[in-house]
Amino acid sequence: MTSETEKLADLLGRVALRDRAAFQQLYRRASPQLFGIGLRILKDRAEAEDVLQEVFVKIWHNADRYAPQVASPLAWMNAMMRNLAIDTLRRRKPGGGDLDVAELLADDSPGPEDQALMRSEGRRIEACLTELEPARAEAVRLAYVEGESYLELAERFGAPLNTIRSWLRRSLIKLRECLTR
Amino acid sequence: MTDDAPEPDPRDIATAGEYVLGTLPLAEREAFQRRILNEPALVAEVARWETHFDPIAAEVRPVSPPAKVWNNLERRLFPERTAPAGSVRFWQWLSLGSVCASIALLALLWLGQPGPETERNLWVSDMVSADSTVRLTALYDETDGEMRISVAGQPPAQGRDFELWLIQGDRAPISLGVMPHQGQAAMPIPEDLRILVANATLAITDEPAGGAPGGVATGPIVAQAEMRRI
Repeated sequence: MTSETEKLADLLGRVALRDRAAFQQLYRRASPQLFGIGLRILKDRAEAEDVLQEVFVKIWHNADRYAPQVASPLAWMNAMMRNLAIDTLRRRKPGGGDLDVAELLADDSPGPEDQALMRSEGRRIEACLTELEPARAEAVRLAYVEGESYLELAERFGAPLNTIRSWLRRSLIKLRECLTR
Repeated sequence: MTDDAPEPDPRDIATAGEYVLGTLPLAEREAFQRRILNEPALVAEVARWETHFDPIAAEVRPVSPPAKVWNNLERRLFPERTAPAGSVRFWQWLSLGSVCASIALLALLWLGQPGPETERNLWVSDMVSADSTVRLTALYDETDGEMRISVAGQPPAQGRDFELWLIQGDRAPISLGVMPHQGQAAMPIPEDLRILVANATLAITDEPAGGAPGGVATGPIVAQAEMRRI
């Protein structure tokens, strides 16, 4: 466990005990990462703010359900953020999500901490993605990071929607094979 | 833990992957969310995908949210602290004497002080077993002598209980009681023990149901950690 992971796990444990100061510290530490994830998926500030708020309400009420044997604290919170953001995205009426994300994408090179992370925990998923054809690995990333739908992927790659879907599903099965090898 | 489960149908592996990626169309996504409620194997499958993909989420550039998000959260979760007339409304509401109100009172007592913040002397001990399957966090408030604990992870085996011990220097471990298998509990520390809590070590052992016979630990130590002042 890294010291940041330990710190977050400690804070979550205290949040489960209704320690408000710990909750505020947890918010300070984790909210930029979660908000970043929400913005990339939703491309809409107001929606990303709402989802972030919902996620922290859930964290306050469910911190005692955090199971350290299943996920790191940040992975647990990241998954909650992505899940709610994607629920919001898929339920959205047409017209939302027109935020110009150019500024968000401007400096997309990983920082030193991110690189360290990729070298350790991230090595497996990164290595397995390189075993896929580059376009398929790209589609997986676009779906995961940008929340792209099959329709958007079909337009981007100039292929019928069903074709995109079946190669993405096959890519997932290949990925799983590699990840559990 | 989840690795012992039989490998699910490859179609479900792919669908769980699509669910985690977020590409499932809305109707299918909602249908999958309903299935998750009844199929533990799918929950494990989703958790696996989330863990596998998480390093990619960690690459996303963080963006600081505006202050209003925290302000809204505080107003929503802790209204009695942030609303100007909060405490008055709270007592008027309580005087209704309904069951609802007594539940709310319990919740508020658990949340802590509804009035002005008092100076607190808090100690915390965060015990995690070596294999990370059991976690017990204890928060001790020196000002009122209450210890609150939260237990998460794998419960003890059938017919066994976890017992919490206070270890101070060379003294024999003192039992603080049998722990719930999951969730939270609050327990007052007897006055004669309070002086021992600061800088003590807390430990959990695996004991026969009901706790160690004769008040002497018999089982292996599951996890231990020192109390730290916070």
